[in-house]
Amino acid sequence: MSTQQKELESLVNRRYEHGFVTDIEQESLPPGLDEDVIRAISARKNEPEFMLEWRLKAYRHWLTIKEPEWAHVHHHPINYQDISYFSAPKSDKDRPQSLDEVDPKLLETYDKLGIPLHERARLAGVAVDAVFDSVSVATTFKDKLSEAGVIFCPFSEAVVEHPALLQKYLGTVVPHRDNFFAALNSAVFSDGSFVYIPKGVRCPMELSTYFRINAANTGQFERTLIIADEGSHVSYLEGCTAPMRDENQLHAAVVELVALEDAEIKYSTVQNWYPGDEDGKGGIYNFVTKRGDCRGANSKISWTQVETGSAITWKYPSCILRGENSVGEFYSVAVTNNLQQADTGTKMIHIGRNSSSTIVSKGISAGHAQQSYRGLVRVMPQAEGARNHTQCDSLLIGKECGAHTFPYMEVRNSGAKVEHEATTSRISENQLFYCRQRGISEEDAVNMIVNGFCKEVFKELPMEFAVEAQALLNVSLEGAVG
Amino acid sequence: MTTQVIDKSLLDAAVKAMPDDRLAGLRREAADRFVSLGFPGTDHEDWKYTNLSDIEALSVAWLKGNPNLQPVSSVTDITDEVRSAIDAHWLLVRDGVADDMLPDIDGIEIERLVDADCSALSADDALSAFNVALLQDGLRIRVEPDAAPDRPLAILNIDSARQRVVQSRLVVELAAGARLELIECALSNGSGSQFTNSVVDVDLENAACLTHTRVQDRHPDHSGIYRLQASLARDANIRHSSFDFGGALSRNDVVTDIKGTGAAVGLNGLYLAGGEQHIDNHTSIIHGVGPATSDEEYRGILTGRAQCVFNGKVIVAEGADGTNSRQSNHNLLLSDRAEIDTKPELEIYADDVKCAHGATVGQLDHAALFYLQSRGLDRDQAKQILTRAFAAGMLSSLSVPACEDFVSARLDRRLAELVDDVDD
Repeated sequence: MSTQQKELESLVNRRYEHGFVTDIEQESLPPGLDEDVIRAISARKNEPEFMLEWRLKAYRHWLTIKEPEWAHVHHHPINYQDISYFSAPKSDKDRPQSLDEVDPKLLETYDKLGIPLHERARLAGVAVDAVFDSVSVATTFKDKLSEAGVIFCPFSEAVVEHPALLQKYLGTVVPHRDNFFAALNSAVFSDGSFVYIPKGVRCPMELSTYFRINAANTGQFERTLIIADEGSHVSYLEGCTAPMRDENQLHAAVVELVALEDAEIKYSTVQNWYPGDEDGKGGIYNFVTKRGDCRGANSKISWTQVETGSAITWKYPSCILRGENSVGEFYSVAVTNNLQQADTGTKMIHIGRNSSSTIVSKGISAGHAQQSYRGLVRVMPQAEGARNHTQCDSLLIGKECGAHTFPYMEVRNSGAKVEHEATTSRISENQLFYCRQRGISEEDAVNMIVNGFCKEVFKELPMEFAVEAQALLNVSLEGAVG
Repeated sequence: MTTQVIDKSLLDAAVKAMPDDRLAGLRREAADRFVSLGFPGTDHEDWKYTNLSDIEALSVAWLKGNPNLQPVSSVTDITDEVRSAIDAHWLLVRDGVADDMLPDIDGIEIERLVDADCSALSADDALSAFNVALLQDGLRIRVEPDAAPDRPLAILNIDSARQRVVQSRLVVELAAGARLELIECALSNGSGSQFTNSVVDVDLENAACLTHTRVQDRHPDHSGIYRLQASLARDANIRHSSFDFGGALSRNDVVTDIKGTGAAVGLNGLYLAGGEQHIDNHTSIIHGVGPATSDEEYRGILTGRAQCVFNGKVIVAEGADGTNSRQSNHNLLLSDRAEIDTKPELEIYADDVKCAHGATVGQLDHAALFYLQSRGLDRDQAKQILTRAFAAGMLSSLSVPACEDFVSARLDRRLAELVDDVDD
């Protein structure tokens, strides 16, 4: 028991690896939120009139609604007037055209994070639209993408360059009235990524964005919109790390996916933001609205996420399965440790005939962490032949942690088949003993068992992400033997 | 529609009009509590799918119209039929008022609540408070230590169904080592709408064992809310089986609180709903200490425009190590206009636990239907057989063998009605 104790202690004392601050001058708005702040954000980004109107509409709606309280998380009330709603790297006007022009300090940041942008991009064939705080700084592989007709650019650029596309799709999946945090995001979103894959195009490379919150006291309000036109295919990667902060930082992002007929979108996330220290101080509040709309027949949207960071995660990547034979998938691994809290899951709304969905959720809770799976599977009367299979398993490591499951199933069609199964257990002594008996150290054994537990999800991740995720998991659970 | 709310003056007047008996003090307290709580609305998570506005409107109308508290008089037809079907010691409760003819059984003390020395009745939630506020009578059953009656004890709850509201209360206490087989039948003798609000308090001391079966087959205009709350001491055991066949709106809350190690909870339920029926089963198993086990299975068959709800909650408190819990809910959806909302919940705060739950919604297997048809059965017969087989799974778990035939007959009658109602 004493070695376990020691290991547990080493886990508890583990510092956040990516906790450092890059010292770049920030051009921020003072804290506070009113219509003038929104006008200022919009003006700074040279947005057309319709965007400003849309923001203001969202803001006025946000004022009328209350922050939701139903999630199984506890935190101090957030003062929305204490947050600065815009911060951009200084060299905003003169956007660097290539990597050489990128601020070397910024590149250094990425190096520290283990993301050698240029090398990695070339080796892995990944185009990286790196979001540093709120404004995209470098976009690589643009030529290759534009050759294929793919639009992959910062959101602010899309607002100016592709207003027609934006007006057609923005807010159609997550309307500005959707929920408290989505309304807030719609009012003040600073930047994000915009992707459009034209008809019949298979995106020649995996698209990737690294987010990083860098300015203290700055809320991040990203907005991502991905449109896959008929018969197209795209795989999008999102990964996050953030520097150590003492004050809680709010992150309320919105991601909208639209898949038209025969289109497929694969959206993968590895989230490793600062979870707060061992006393639960600091850490990111990650309140995200992610939703995909399978609009066309035979379309497919697949969410894969590995959530290891953030003090509080509140996130339900969802699929609206409107099209006939459309497919929705949700694969998730969530790890919470120390005082982290996560309330995460998915919604699958079956509207189209023969639509099918798969949910695989693996939760690992250690230390004093609380984790909830909250999911909804709704089959509408017209969704003849709809299929759903849900599996959600929780692994508990430690006496004081909690794992909760709240699966909602609402079925209104007699031709539908819906299945849900869930288990909660700890790593069994037998499994550990078996491994130890064969000369595997306790820690390796735990890693093996945990990795096996999560295998179903990892195999859905793009290769380089899978490697990263596995490493992340091993680090996260070092020594945490129950 | 304007919402009808029971306000303080309305309820106070009704409480004042009731006889000044031993329950009077409890009624006044509970009335105050209910007024501060009010009927839960659909914005309340536990009542998300079940709308009580009709029940509240009926209650308001009844309270305003000089409440009639006279129980239904003649019910011999029904009592004879049921009594002959189940071999048990019988107790009769008419519109919440217990009959004076109480059986004399060795080791069991049975008394009417108006005669009992009741210092407190549970009234924590709004509907339990409403129950106590307007409570006329009820039954208290106490089984002495290590006593075990030779035959089951059966309670026949008859409702008159005459546009009225009825509160019914049952208190069951099993002393250490006592055993009891308890059957509750809820039936109607009339054809008006009625709301019956029943609460059953169960207290099981060390190693006490209660097998409890409830059969509800009321008139199609009847609304019923039923709450059973049990507390289990060390090595106590409860097996509860519930069968819902009738009624317009039925809501069952079963709460079992495990307070002693080695306790075991078994919950089973079968609900058959057609037409516009609404059946809502909420169960909550609280593992306060471990080791202890719980095992739960509910099955439902839905046709017509029926809506059924299942919400099974298992809570494992911090330190309740050695908890072993299984829960499942299976539904057969036989109509496109029917709706099932199921939510098997787990809330776990301990790590040395084994908990599993599952839920399915589906329809009759086409291959199985074809198989039966290929052997000469017509489609309706084939459906009947497969549906019966699905329900039979719950029948076999029936904890009181004495009422097997009775339940089985009611089940077959209801199934025949439902399968006729199935659209292809």
